Amino acid sequence: MKSKMALIFGYNDYALEIAKNIADKYGSVVIYSLHSEQDSLKNKSDFEIRGLDLSDNWDGINENFDFENSIAFCVLEDSAENIFLTISLRSLFSDLHIIALSNNKETANKLQMAGANRVIPLVQTTAEMIAEMMEKPIVKEVFHKILFESGELKITQVKINASNEYIGKEISQLDWNDKYGVIPLSMVHEDMRSEFIYSSKIKHHVIQEGDLFVIVGYENCIQEFEKSIGSRYDVNWCNWSR
Amino acid sequence: MNFFSRLIVDIAYFIHTSDAYQHKKRFFYDLLENNKYKYKKVFDIFMIILIFLSVFILISEVKHQVPAYIKYFNIYVISIIFFIEYLLRFWTSSSVCEIIIAKSEHDTMLGREFSLSRAIIKVLKAKLNFIFSFKAIIDLLAILPFFHELRLLRLFVLFRVFKLFRYTTSFQIFASVLSTKKFEFIILLMFASIVVFVSSVLVYVMEANNPDSPVNTLFDALYWSIVTISTVGYGDVTAVTTEGRIVAMFVIIAGVSVLAFTTSIVVSAFTEKLDEIKETKTIEDIRKLKKFYLICGYEQVAQEVAKKLANSMTTIIVLDEDEHRIAHAKRDGLVALNYDPGDTHSYKKIGLDLSTQVKSVLCLRESDVENVYTTLTIRSIDKEVNIVSLLMDDTNRNKLTFAGVNEILYPKGLVGMISKELIGRPVAFEVIHALRNEYFGVNIEEILVDDRMSEKIIYVNELNNTKFRVVLLGIYKKDTKRFFFNPIDATMLESGDYLLVIGKTIFIKEFEKYLHKKTKK
Repeated sequence: MKSKMALIFGYNDYALEIAKNIADKYGSVVIYSLHSEQDSLKNKSDFEIRGLDLSDNWDGINENFDFENSIAFCVLEDSAENIFLTISLRSLFSDLHIIALSNNKETANKLQMAGANRVIPLVQTTAEMIAEMMEKPIVKEVFHKILFESGELKITQVKINASNEYIGKEISQLDWNDKYGVIPLSMVHEDMRSEFIYSSKIKHHVIQEGDLFVIVGYENCIQEFEKSIGSRYDVNWCNWSR
Repeated sequence: MNFFSRLIVDIAYFIHTSDAYQHKKRFFYDLLENNKYKYKKVFDIFMIILIFLSVFILISEVKHQVPAYIKYFNIYVISIIFFIEYLLRFWTSSSVCEIIIAKSEHDTMLGREFSLSRAIIKVLKAKLNFIFSFKAIIDLLAILPFFHELRLLRLFVLFRVFKLFRYTTSFQIFASVLSTKKFEFIILLMFASIVVFVSSVLVYVMEANNPDSPVNTLFDALYWSIVTISTVGYGDVTAVTTEGRIVAMFVIIAGVSVLAFTTSIVVSAFTEKLDEIKETKTIEDIRKLKKFYLICGYEQVAQEVAKKLANSMTTIIVLDEDEHRIAHAKRDGLVALNYDPGDTHSYKKIGLDLSTQVKSVLCLRESDVENVYTTLTIRSIDKEVNIVSLLMDDTNRNKLTFAGVNEILYPKGLVGMISKELIGRPVAFEVIHALRNEYFGVNIEEILVDDRMSEKIIYVNELNNTKFRVVLLGIYKKDTKRFFFNPIDATMLESGDYLLVIGKTIFIKEFEKYLHKKTKK
């Protein structure tokens, strides 16, 4: 049987951090290393290390894992190798979700061109965090809580159910924050682009069944909201534009 | 030790430990010598005005009748002010008490009898050093017009102009730049003197006996020679004999080369010192700043942070020991100094006050060793200033905390957390990422509730944020340090709270303006 796997390419601190954080979501996490023999010896983690050859055609992998639900992280330290790896993976497995790490903007563009679904621009993200720490410390703290800590405050996406009182109403008439304690932030269009809730474009949009909203709220409020208005809609993030 | 010596030492100790005395002396020292002291500039400008007044009066006297009170002012008042200044400089130039105490302690330590005469000699030496210093001589000459009965002394008013050296730093920089080329100038001067000497003697010998020649004395020859070598050539005195003209040709050629040589020396002195002059100017500017971010180390992350912070109103100062990185920072339009952030002398040289001037120190070298070192250096100077540091290897986290970093950012851990979010909650991640980067002009801002605002707007429902198309995400209560998401209408606003709002940047600005306006009513 094909299994849902997380493949991490490159053995380094980034790989280990990623492996640690995603281990509970995936059945197996495998780290591929360019120098597997040396790295296996110094490996103190529980993760399996396999050899990787950039000129290989990965016939072995092809047979036994489920692309649709698997994910690949490209974190090789050398940018050129990382781009080559991404393009190799994309050419071989068109359905695989690839997340790549980049050190600068230029590499980020190239990685995207090479077929990565999502690029984590390491330097930019770190800089963003530091700048936010300096200029908007409270925003940083609240975001950090919502994103990275298992706090009660959640941000999620909800699809409007067939029958409820809001269908036919305009977005400007929504009273979800009083009634359910959740704040709608944006509406998501069919092409997966989100539009801010107060933008003049969608202010008068009439709510229909199947509309997607991004809402913020405490976990119990969101659950309450889901019962009467809509269901949590897990979008396949790789289709998420940008 | 005899009674008199003991009395002197006791008096010295008494004065030295007197707070009132030291305080006054410190004040006058700062006023006269300390460039960092804010009132020094005022004093300098006052003295410059006096100097110009004095010169102006001198010029007016030549052809006009000047009222007696102005003469009186010029001769007595200005001179007395200059004299007082001279005495103050004489007083603050060195400390008599300190010299006596140091001598007495030195003698006691060596088990010798305290010698008052030797101490007095030391004091005299220190004071004479001041009196015979170039600047002090000029100061003294500037006072001489006081004795106006001696007519020639009136011209000493012009010495007051030389006093300008004291009050303007650009003159001092000019003098210091030229002094670096002292050796070249001496050679040039010697060359020019020899040419002038030889040529004037030659011209005198060849022309003095010729009745047609205007050169009659050795002084005429010297005058001609200097006018010619300087390439000025008035033409009032010229050589008429063939021999004299041959000499003139040589002097002219020598003159051109002397002039070219002088220009090149001055230019090269300035080019060599240009960076130093610019640095001095930068440091002066930094000292005047009220609040800024100090970035230590200008590598990739630092470059990005500087770009992000560029929009804020706070200035960014970069310190790095690497010349190339500093050049890069300057190209990026930042105020950057090539000083080692891990060296306490750097901060002393710049004259930074870490606790009042620096908003946050950002240790952004991509090396934990460097960041720990810089943090310890800064902590050794100031215990309070906020320090944020990058962490490259998680095993060093404790070391950074122990060194005194307030906030740590670990990029590798961040990648792990982002990966988890991208897999688990892509929506949350994308929305927050979009807000952070102001995609579509939508932004998240914190608005501080000040005293006046909290007096006028008591409850959340009075904010009227929906009218401005702004989402109130929540309130951050400063006293409890808690974030209240989606606060109910009856929540009270208190001074010091922060409103977290999401909306288009322009609407948020309008909303903020409205909040402040409302308070004015």
